[in-house]
Amino acid sequence: MTAQEVRLCGLLLQEHFGDVVEKVGTHLIRSGVLTLRALAHETKLPLDLVKKSLCVLMQHGMCAFGAGRRGPAGPVEYHIICEHILHMLRYPRYIYTAKSLYGDTGELIVEEILQRGQMTMSSTVKTVADRLTHNMPEGQSMDYSEVVSAFSRLVETHFLQRCPPMASAGSSSSEAVNTPLPVVTQPTKPEDHPECYRLPYINLTGQGKRRRSSEDGEAEQRAAKKTKTDNSERGDEGIYWQVNFQRFHLHFRDQAIISAVSCKLDQTSSEIVRTMLRMSEVTTPAHAAFTQALSANEIFRALPFSYNIARPILDQYLTLLVNDPMEFVGRTGDSGGGMYVVNLHRALANLARATLESVVQERFGSRSARIFRLLLRKRHLEQKQVEDFAMVPAKEAKDMLYTLLSENLVQLQEIPKTPDYAPSRTFYLYTVNQLPTARLLLQHCYKTVGNLIERRLYETKENKRLLEKSQQIEAILASLQATGAEAAQLTEVEEMITAPERQQLESLQHHINKLDSSENQVDETIFLLESYINSTQAPP
Amino acid sequence: MTEVKVKKESTDPVDIENRIKELCLQFPHGITDQVIQNDMPHVEVQQRAMAINRLLSVGQLDLLKNSNGLLYRLKDAQSASKVKGSDNQEKLVYQIIEDAGNKGIWTRDIRYKSNLPLTEINKILKNLESKKLIKAVKSVAASKKKVYMLYNLQPDRSVTGGAWYSDQDFESEFVEVLNQQCFKFLQSKAEAARDSKQSPMVQRNSSFATSHEVWKYICELGISKVDLSMEDIETILNTLIFDGKVEMTIIAAKEGTVGSVDGQMKLYRGVNPIIQPTGLVKIPCGLCPVFDDCHEGGEISPSNCVYMAEWLDF
Repeated sequence: MTAQEVRLCGLLLQEHFGDVVEKVGTHLIRSGVLTLRALAHETKLPLDLVKKSLCVLMQHGMCAFGAGRRGPAGPVEYHIICEHILHMLRYPRYIYTAKSLYGDTGELIVEEILQRGQMTMSSTVKTVADRLTHNMPEGQSMDYSEVVSAFSRLVETHFLQRCPPMASAGSSSSEAVNTPLPVVTQPTKPEDHPECYRLPYINLTGQGKRRRSSEDGEAEQRAAKKTKTDNSERGDEGIYWQVNFQRFHLHFRDQAIISAVSCKLDQTSSEIVRTMLRMSEVTTPAHAAFTQALSANEIFRALPFSYNIARPILDQYLTLLVNDPMEFVGRTGDSGGGMYVVNLHRALANLARATLESVVQERFGSRSARIFRLLLRKRHLEQKQVEDFAMVPAKEAKDMLYTLLSENLVQLQEIPKTPDYAPSRTFYLYTVNQLPTARLLLQHCYKTVGNLIERRLYETKENKRLLEKSQQIEAILASLQATGAEAAQLTEVEEMITAPERQQLESLQHHINKLDSSENQVDETIFLLESYINSTQAPP
Repeated sequence: MTEVKVKKESTDPVDIENRIKELCLQFPHGITDQVIQNDMPHVEVQQRAMAINRLLSVGQLDLLKNSNGLLYRLKDAQSASKVKGSDNQEKLVYQIIEDAGNKGIWTRDIRYKSNLPLTEINKILKNLESKKLIKAVKSVAASKKKVYMLYNLQPDRSVTGGAWYSDQDFESEFVEVLNQQCFKFLQSKAEAARDSKQSPMVQRNSSFATSHEVWKYICELGISKVDLSMEDIETILNTLIFDGKVEMTIIAAKEGTVGSVDGQMKLYRGVNPIIQPTGLVKIPCGLCPVFDDCHEGGEISPSNCVYMAEWLDF
């Protein structure tokens, strides 16, 4: 784990779970693998607090445990899965995707599960139905069956999956005896479980309940008691569901490829690529370099009707896609009218390269971007050749190359003519390596997001007094309205906030919104670079 | 077969010289000492040597060396007259410069080849320049270096830099203007193809332009004072490729078609970038010059960042 990643994880944990979890989490990230006792001792926190923090982390899938170095007989060791903490940055994007695909119901389901980490189907359905009913006009309520259908659609397309079952140590069931505890280094993947995507049979009928504000306190207590008894009736206790992050990532990757195709070629080509990707959604393994081969006949049948493309035109589009220098689509055979695949890894590499070029362009200017692209294409060049190809005057070219070199975006390769590396007798070639540069930029992105979060916390802290005052005033206003006060009293209370303070509050709100949205924007870059780097590594 | 003429015993030096010149004319590649000896066996070595030296000093004979020995060759009458008024050293230097052709030669190299001291060289060069036999051309690679070449020769491209350099200055604005014009031409062609709404293959093919077409367009625009060749236009189009605005394919073409080089033609086409500017560059940190110095609690930190403050108020 790099320093920037650790810092970012710490900030995210603190924001979402509080100081204690942050302390435990960062310490565990830094140390790698620890037993419970060691962790409690080193963080100097009481044992039960450490236990609770670990429970929180495990509930969200960020911490895993397994048999330690001393084998099954020794104490259990815990380790943190850093990627899952960093996924917290992407939660808004997941929720937005669910909303665009499955509407408000889908959005709320995903939001609930992300918030709780793991949930049973019945409790999710009930909570979501209640929330939806709350927002509906009086007299209407949400039927459970609608929520159930949305849930099952999410499971069918693999966006939700069952949590892998934990083999309990020394339990009475025969299963547990046969399956030993997983070793720390090889956690079980959810996909290994054969019933990963099977919906349980539950008996769930009814409608969402609207919560009245007057019966708030009582209703909550009753609802809490009710959930405990309800679960046992519904028939799916012990089957917990979690969000399948990988599936969302594949979806984002497909979206990026489709938008790139539509920018480069045209709308119709991007629709064809979208159809191809949709057809191979669930059949292609996660780390594959290509989708499954699809014949032109299948693609033709699967195209949406609104496009009304004739068969020979479709063939022409496919040929154009294959001949495009970006090589999004490749042709692998001739049966069935031509077998076509989408080149996933190559598309990711092209997108990552475009990201690098855009960063260089925005940061250093279009001439430096020209030199950067030139070096990416031609691999190794001498200084004189760089000047000639880029048509940049010699002095400026030298200056730009040295700036890029100092920022480590460009490397220098020495090829000596003589065994002593005498400078006058050595060739100095400039080169760009895409993968290390992508990793460097990824670390920059992590640092940037950390900076944004810190700035947001700072802004909030600076204006804490003002925020507290405005909150008090709002509380007073609300209570006054509830007890039916006169208009004069309300305006008097409102005027307790002066105009400049109001303006300050507005600008603070504006700042925080801007910082929030820019975190999401940087996260897009992080996603592209991370996917590219993961695609170059061999699959586990 | 040469007729063996029984000549009078003539030891006249002028006759010897004339005889040598005739022999040279017979053998334009050059004659060795042996040949002269065979022809005039009665002439003594000394007389022969004197005649040869006289011819050399007058400049009518060229002395060359090959693996077998020395060769004498008749010098070109025209060039012989040119250097008539100069002495040996000047002739030597002139010869060296002439051999350098249109690439020119540097003073230090002249010194190595002729083994003359620097002061002598400079005097001779000034002399020759005043006689308008050689000229100095500034090299574009190293601006202080001067190369010398014959007066009436055109300097080679590597010295002047070709069409992009005027007076040793790289013409950046000229290149920029050409760049934009080519790009506009290709972009308008691509848009016309897109609007034509024909089948996609035809659309794509009509959005391509050969390098020959672009060259003709630029020539007709008339923005260039210098004549540009097709290779020049191709270098400009290559810079557009490196800008990411244009892509190129090569197709096989018949030899006879216009603009084809070695049976190939290069086609260029305007393209759009495949992604929008990425998220990282939309915030100040992505462009910050002091990014590496920024830490929480330091002089430069996210909390007191000036760039961020300005950006937030925007």
